[in-house]
Amino acid sequence: MNIRDKLKNANWQLIVAAPVAAGILHICATMAAPYLTAASAYSRLAPALPLNKMQILGPITPGAEPLPFLSPDARYAMCRFDTARGPVDVSAILPADQGWTLTVVSPQGDNIYATASAPARPTPVAVVLVPSEEHFLGVTPEARGIAREQQPPAAIAAARGIVVLRGPDKGLSYQRQVETALKAARCSARTF
Amino acid sequence: MEHRLVLSHSALTPIHVGLHRLQKRISIVIGVLGDWAAFIGAVLILGLGTSWYMIDVGTPLTTQRQGPWIGWTSAGRADADPYTRAHFARLGTLQLTTELALSYVAYTDSNGNRLHSSCDYMVEGREPGTNWWSLTVFNDRGELIANPAQRYDFTSQSIALRPDGTFAVALAREASPGNWLPTSGAGRLALVFTTFDVGAPTLSKPSEERKALPVIRRVQCR
Repeated sequence: MNIRDKLKNANWQLIVAAPVAAGILHICATMAAPYLTAASAYSRLAPALPLNKMQILGPITPGAEPLPFLSPDARYAMCRFDTARGPVDVSAILPADQGWTLTVVSPQGDNIYATASAPARPTPVAVVLVPSEEHFLGVTPEARGIAREQQPPAAIAAARGIVVLRGPDKGLSYQRQVETALKAARCSARTF
Repeated sequence: MEHRLVLSHSALTPIHVGLHRLQKRISIVIGVLGDWAAFIGAVLILGLGTSWYMIDVGTPLTTQRQGPWIGWTSAGRADADPYTRAHFARLGTLQLTTELALSYVAYTDSNGNRLHSSCDYMVEGREPGTNWWSLTVFNDRGELIANPAQRYDFTSQSIALRPDGTFAVALAREASPGNWLPTSGAGRLALVFTTFDVGAPTLSKPSEERKALPVIRRVQCR
C-alpha cells in the first residue's frame, strides 16, 4: 500500500477531531488544575490559623516553613477569614519603611486587595471584608444622620481567604519593632 | 484449471466461509480500535502535555525571562491568566501581586547549568534602585537549607555593597568572606530574587529600562 492509498484510507474525521478534542482537554485541565491540587497555599495554611483572628507566625526557619519558597526575609501575621456570618474588619498601620505589605488573598491565591508601605510616613489600612456586593450591612452612620469622623474602610467582597501582613525581617535589632507592628494589626468579625 | 476451480469452490464449507467472515470482521474491529487508540493517545499527549508545559515551564505569554531568571508576569493578580494561577496553586506558594513586587526564580546558572550544592557560585549584580529586595537560596523543593550560620537570604538592608553600588554573594558549602549564602549538601538549588517596585512597576517599563537581574557565575565544582 503506497502513501496515496494510506491517506485515502485514513480516518480523516478522527484526524480532524484530535486537535479539537486536545484543545478542549487542554482548557479543561488548565482550568481544573488549581482546584485539583491538594497542597495549595490556602489548604496548607488554613488548618493552622484561627478563624477571623490575626496570628503572628514565628520566624521562618528550616523545617518550620509553612509554605514552599517562603523566604525568611520577612515576618508574617495572618488571619483566615470567613464572611459567611457577617463582615470582617481588618486594620493595620504599615510603618514608615520599605517592604511592608497587607494583602487579602483568595483561596485560589489571587491578591484581592494589596497595599504597600511608604518610606515617608506610616500607612494606615482599614478594610471591611463583606460576603458579597449585595449584602446588607446595616444602616450606615450617614443614613442615621451621624457624620463620620474618619474615612470609612474600603469594602472588599470576599467569602473566604487569608489576610497576610508582611514585614521585612531586618534582624535582631529590629525584631521588637517589627513584632509590635504585626501585633497591632486587627482582624475580627463584626458583631451586631 | 477449470476443474481445480470447481474443486476449490466445492471445498469452501460453511465453516470456512464463517471463519473467513470472522477474520474479516476482527480485522475491521482491530482497525477501528487502532484508530481510536491513536486518537485517544494523540488527544491525551497534545491536551495534557501542552497544558503541563504551559503551567509548569511557562511561555513568553506568561513569563518574563532574563538569563537564568524566570518571573511570572501576572503572579498573584486577581486578573491572572489560568496558567499562572495553576502554576502557583500547584507550587503551593503565596505570591505577592506583581503590582507590588516581582519574584524571579533561577534553577540554573547564567550558562544554563543546573544549580547544585556541589558547586560554588558567585551571584553578582547591582542594587535595583532604592526599593527593597531580597535574594534567598532554597533547595529545588522550596525548602530552606539548614546551616550553622542560620543564613538563608540577603536583603537590601542586610547585604554588604561594594563602593560602586554593586554586590556579590557567594553561594558555597564552605564559609566565604563577604556575603556568603551556605548551600550545605542540599543537592539541587533554587535562587529566588524578589524586588519591590511600588509605584513604577518594572513590567510596564520598556525592556531597555528594566533592571538587570544578577548574573550567576559558576566558580568551581567538586
